[in-house]
Amino acid sequence: MATVTFTNVSKSYGQTQIVDDLNLVLPDGSLTVLVGPSGCGKSTSLRMLAGLEPITSGDIAIGDRVVTGLEPKDRDVAMVFQNYALYPHLSVRENIAFPLRATKTPRTEALKRADSVADSLGLSHLLGRKPKDLSGGQQQRVAIGRAIIRQPSVFLFDEPLSNLDAKLRVETRTELLQIQRRLGITSLYVTHDQEEAMTLSDRMVVMREGRIAQQGTPLEVYSAPANTFVAAFVGSPKMNLIDGVIERGTFVSETGVRFELQTDQEDGAVTLGVRPDDLLVEAPGAISAPATATVGLIELLGPRAIVSLSASGLTLTSVVEASNLSGMAESATVGIRVRPGAWHLFDRESGERLNVRES
Amino acid sequence: MRRVSGLAIARIALLWAAAIFVLFPMIWIALASFKTPSQLNDPNLVFFAPTFASWENVLSSGILDAAGRSAIVGLTTVLISVVVGSSGAYVIAKYRAGGTATRFGMLAAQVLPPAVLVFPFLTMAYALRLNDTLVPVIFAHLSFVLPVVTWFLIGFFEAVPRSLEEQARVDGFSRFGAFWRVVLPQVLPGLGAAAIFGFTLSWNDMFYGLILAPGKAAILPVAIAGFNTFRGVQLGSMSAAILIAVIPVVIASFFIQRKLVQGISGGAVKS
Repeated sequence: MATVTFTNVSKSYGQTQIVDDLNLVLPDGSLTVLVGPSGCGKSTSLRMLAGLEPITSGDIAIGDRVVTGLEPKDRDVAMVFQNYALYPHLSVRENIAFPLRATKTPRTEALKRADSVADSLGLSHLLGRKPKDLSGGQQQRVAIGRAIIRQPSVFLFDEPLSNLDAKLRVETRTELLQIQRRLGITSLYVTHDQEEAMTLSDRMVVMREGRIAQQGTPLEVYSAPANTFVAAFVGSPKMNLIDGVIERGTFVSETGVRFELQTDQEDGAVTLGVRPDDLLVEAPGAISAPATATVGLIELLGPRAIVSLSASGLTLTSVVEASNLSGMAESATVGIRVRPGAWHLFDRESGERLNVRES
Repeated sequence: MRRVSGLAIARIALLWAAAIFVLFPMIWIALASFKTPSQLNDPNLVFFAPTFASWENVLSSGILDAAGRSAIVGLTTVLISVVVGSSGAYVIAKYRAGGTATRFGMLAAQVLPPAVLVFPFLTMAYALRLNDTLVPVIFAHLSFVLPVVTWFLIGFFEAVPRSLEEQARVDGFSRFGAFWRVVLPQVLPGLGAAAIFGFTLSWNDMFYGLILAPGKAAILPVAIAGFNTFRGVQLGSMSAAILIAVIPVVIASFFIQRKLVQGISGGAVKS
């Protein structure tokens, strides 16, 4: 049982700052996801916690114990790598038992515990196989088994699902979450996939260029992104971000598209953020909105469709219920409006959030 | 019926020609070892009644003792080379120790004529009263076997994913523990090939042995050269002795041929 604390942690290679003054608390038993584009410092942060990457300045504590400078073996952490890093010369059983061998657990005892871990992961029939004879999903399970056998203080996951195919990824994600909940071990999970971050995390930490861009529950981050970077990064399809000005409560884009927001935001230059779900489309026969757009591509996803729109030079995306698609065809003219209250305003210069969202 | 293209036939013919070219001296030597001294004067003689006189002469000449000494020198050299070389290759592969200069510079000694090194070795051997023992021969052989073994192994260590070692460290092992239990097992085939390759290098060397241990501690190639006496070359005996020397090398090469190519190209081409 351990809370993990990063205090003023920085990491640089020569002049290049990889992680810049990171302050982060992983609450005991929680699953925190570090998410961001490649090169944002998320993996480095995880590796610093593992002890694989030395820290330039600052401290990392696991529970009451400052682990800065300790070897990985003395930190009581377990890790699942992106490529699983299974030991090719060892069988499944020996792979899972491997961390116990380091603790001088007698061999028979270690193998017995490996068997029961393998059993809980549905690997019993594969115990004698070598990693190269396993499928990607099975290899992944072995890596998880090896991580949980020792009951460590902290679990570390470095993009563990990115080598799996889409279907398996979703299944394994759920399973991983169940295992984490069952064991209640503090976990840090790194991914570049915002959807994975949203579905898995208790706390979501969006990183950008070595700093935290925003942290909070997935709902907080999704419903009130702190800046345009987070707004564009979190959510799929991407949020529409439109540069323009506020004039007496109405937003006017630089190209002249008007949205009646009825905001009390003072006049000035802003960036308007509208999620595709909140950009409403009016069918050609029933346009009442002041703004119109031309329909581009319509991508049907089943119950809903992603509609690309172009409105006087702007490219916008809307998500439309399939039942409302009637009359909409490529190059048709439709009305567009923003769902009342469902918008985000950002400072044009800094990109920081302006309005406080009452979700 | 499978059709064989002209190109394939040409390729096979070329390979056979090369094989015959390489193997012919061996066949000739094998024949020579069963000939009488007068028959030896006729190299065209292929069919004759074999005599075992040369083999009897060789086997009673102490050539087996020399082969034993060569084996001791080879095994000791290889043991040291593998232990030191694998550690060296590992740090060069993983930590770029010594930079590119070390990586490629370690073979620089191969470029020098052995004569440059042999006299320092001889002087030291005299100073330490170790001349005509196997000790200076082993050290001299280390001077070329160790760099080659190290260089050979770099590519194998580079092929081991870094995450494997990191995983072992997170799983509770020290750096050395991770190296020993996880990294080293991955390069075992390469290590075996390097060992055999290093052994043949040592086994085949004559120059250092001739100068550093010419007398009672003579190694096999030196002993073979001993059949070139002041009364002329004992061609039959020498042929038999050469066969004794060649057989282990041929067998060893057969087992490591694939790894040999991998090791040589792996060391040369940075991935």
